[in-house]
Amino acid sequence: MTYSTSATPAEVHRPCRGGVSWTVRLAVLLSVALATPAAGQWVATYDQFYRQSSHNWQFRRNYPAADRLFNAFDYGHAILYERLLTAPNAPIAQLEQREYDFITRRLLVSPPRVPLEEAAIEVEYAKLVPEAKQMFDWAHVLHRQVYDVWADERIALERKDAEVSRLLKYYRSRPDIAFSTKPKSMELMEGQPYSLSFRRSYPKFNGLIWAYHWLQVGLYEPLVTGETSEARQTGVAAALTRFRQMLENPPSRMPSVMPMTAAIAPEFSRRYPEIAIIFDNLHAMHDVISDVLADARVPRSRKRAEILLAARRYRDDTTAVVSEADWRSMAIAMGLAEQGGPAVGPVEPAAKRDTASASSGHAGHGARVDSTTRRDSTAVPAAGADPMVRLLMALLEDPAIRARIAADPALRRATEQAIRALPPEHRDHLLEMLGERPTPDSLQSSGNTPRGSSRPGTP
Amino acid sequence: MRSIVKAASVLAFAPWVAVPVAAQTDYYNTGTGRPLRIEDAYPVEFRAIEMNIAPLRLERARGGVYRWSVHPGVALGLLPRTHLEVGLPLAVVEAAAGASRTGIAGVEMGAFHTLNAETSIPAIAVGADVFLPVGSLAGEDAYATFKGIMTRTLPWARFHVNAELTAGPSIARADSAAGTEHADISRWLVGLAADKTLPLRSLLIGGEVFADQPVDPSAAVAWSAGAGARFQLTPRWTLDGGLGRRFSGDDRTWYVTLGSAFAIGIP
Repeated sequence: MTYSTSATPAEVHRPCRGGVSWTVRLAVLLSVALATPAAGQWVATYDQFYRQSSHNWQFRRNYPAADRLFNAFDYGHAILYERLLTAPNAPIAQLEQREYDFITRRLLVSPPRVPLEEAAIEVEYAKLVPEAKQMFDWAHVLHRQVYDVWADERIALERKDAEVSRLLKYYRSRPDIAFSTKPKSMELMEGQPYSLSFRRSYPKFNGLIWAYHWLQVGLYEPLVTGETSEARQTGVAAALTRFRQMLENPPSRMPSVMPMTAAIAPEFSRRYPEIAIIFDNLHAMHDVISDVLADARVPRSRKRAEILLAARRYRDDTTAVVSEADWRSMAIAMGLAEQGGPAVGPVEPAAKRDTASASSGHAGHGARVDSTTRRDSTAVPAAGADPMVRLLMALLEDPAIRARIAADPALRRATEQAIRALPPEHRDHLLEMLGERPTPDSLQSSGNTPRGSSRPGTP
Repeated sequence: MRSIVKAASVLAFAPWVAVPVAAQTDYYNTGTGRPLRIEDAYPVEFRAIEMNIAPLRLERARGGVYRWSVHPGVALGLLPRTHLEVGLPLAVVEAAAGASRTGIAGVEMGAFHTLNAETSIPAIAVGADVFLPVGSLAGEDAYATFKGIMTRTLPWARFHVNAELTAGPSIARADSAAGTEHADISRWLVGLAADKTLPLRSLLIGGEVFADQPVDPSAAVAWSAGAGARFQLTPRWTLDGGLGRRFSGDDRTWYVTLGSAFAIGIP
């Protein structure tokens, strides 16, 4: 009997008649599996258990509906990366329709009982960049443990901060996979050659991911601001309802820019700025990886390197760092309603999305594709513009804030675009305050023209 | 009686029951005997404690002789990619005549270290287990087993290859009672397992085949096959069950396993 060195596992499993043949087959499998090290990557990253504490799994116990939704979210992230990596030429509808429908009509309706093993869903992705997967897993552990602290009614209010501080310390004990606690410029996410590729091609699925992120950070707000157990329960239930409403008529009610924790959960962000920043960096890197995987100009052979580069930038405390004040300003300037609205309190209507152009991939023609770009220049109705005008006015009257905006290109662009989205009667004055003298041309090229839309290969 | 003690001891340190807690918290991380003899290349997570509570194994040998064993144990993720484990097997051995004896059947200690995360290179791990003859059913000799493990994951299945070598004295067939109890410990073992994950159900099902050479040098190489499942009941609880058949060699037995693991973190 002869054996091919290209024996597949199925061939190895073929029934054998004698002991020798099985032994040889095992040896063949071993040699085949080991035949690729020269071309492979030796990675020594590792799993770490969550911090043992009395509050473990209290969120699951006290808020089971929300907990189960988060289990379902794991699937969405994982299947997205796996599909983008393994089927780059698949029809858009595979993600935008089939997977989206499965997730929203079945999985989110009846979410899994326990956290999912993402490595079993994103098999190839997990092998491509196990380091990045570990970063996400570790940040998700922090997410869940902070929920646990605030869901645990046995922990007195004055003890919660100390417990969260311990969690943060535990999280940062893994600098090899922990996200930075320094806020990062949007340039990391939106100023790279591959940036925006995913959201342009998959606006609905992208909206779903942003809705996930909205809930993941937004759920902290009712937990932190609720004064009684009942208030917290009610607040969490309301946030869940709001999340489900986002899924109606997609993507019109979904976030149209990346939800930032400082906007969605302001009290949580005030209380735990470092953790809020970690989550924003986490969510931004989620988007970056989606873009790297979705961008056909990044060949498969370079995807690992690009992802690891982005991962390093989001871990270190030096690359593209902006100040905490700038980070908060940016969150406000991007528009709360566009980020999905507040997790707690009344919801202001967001600008109406042009769903047809968004879903067709013509993202530059009306659909918001850039966190720093409004959907169209007349999107903010006059009635809804007043609070934004007052906010921008208040911000720009402060010379320190003006200076910060002027110093940060991303923030400046965000502010400028926010101004251009306002009704014309407010624009000139605010632009002057920003230090921009509006011209007819600049007014015409308002925020609905996405940066980089003329790049080759982009829709 | 000596044969019973000897049988109990070999049962206790037989590799697929002697390693109590090579598995991890998660249903996706299999360990020796939980549910299959062939395990994956991943250790208990760093800073995790996994307790294998009453993992049970029942064997039915030729002549209707039953062997029961329970292997409570604990694994500690004390270092990155590394766990240490300790087990205290309890065994019940029934002789053909209906007599039985129960007792501690040794102390088992092991270390397991994963060298790398899987990329285009399979995940590779090495391990070592020591069996100490402690207890009334532990026999008289100590054994040390060294092993290498490899895991390769494909989108449709995972494959695991295990190879083991054991150092220690041989057990002659004459030490068994007229051949009804056979030395289950392996001088060497090599095997392959494949498993399929149903991630939305947190369920893993798998099958295996392996060959081992008993420490009795006169015994034939034995081939075994098995199947099993592992299920995540709650974030901390995992259940597993399996069955198998040794279909060649001198000691052809059926076996059934049932176990559960509970995980917490190191405080």
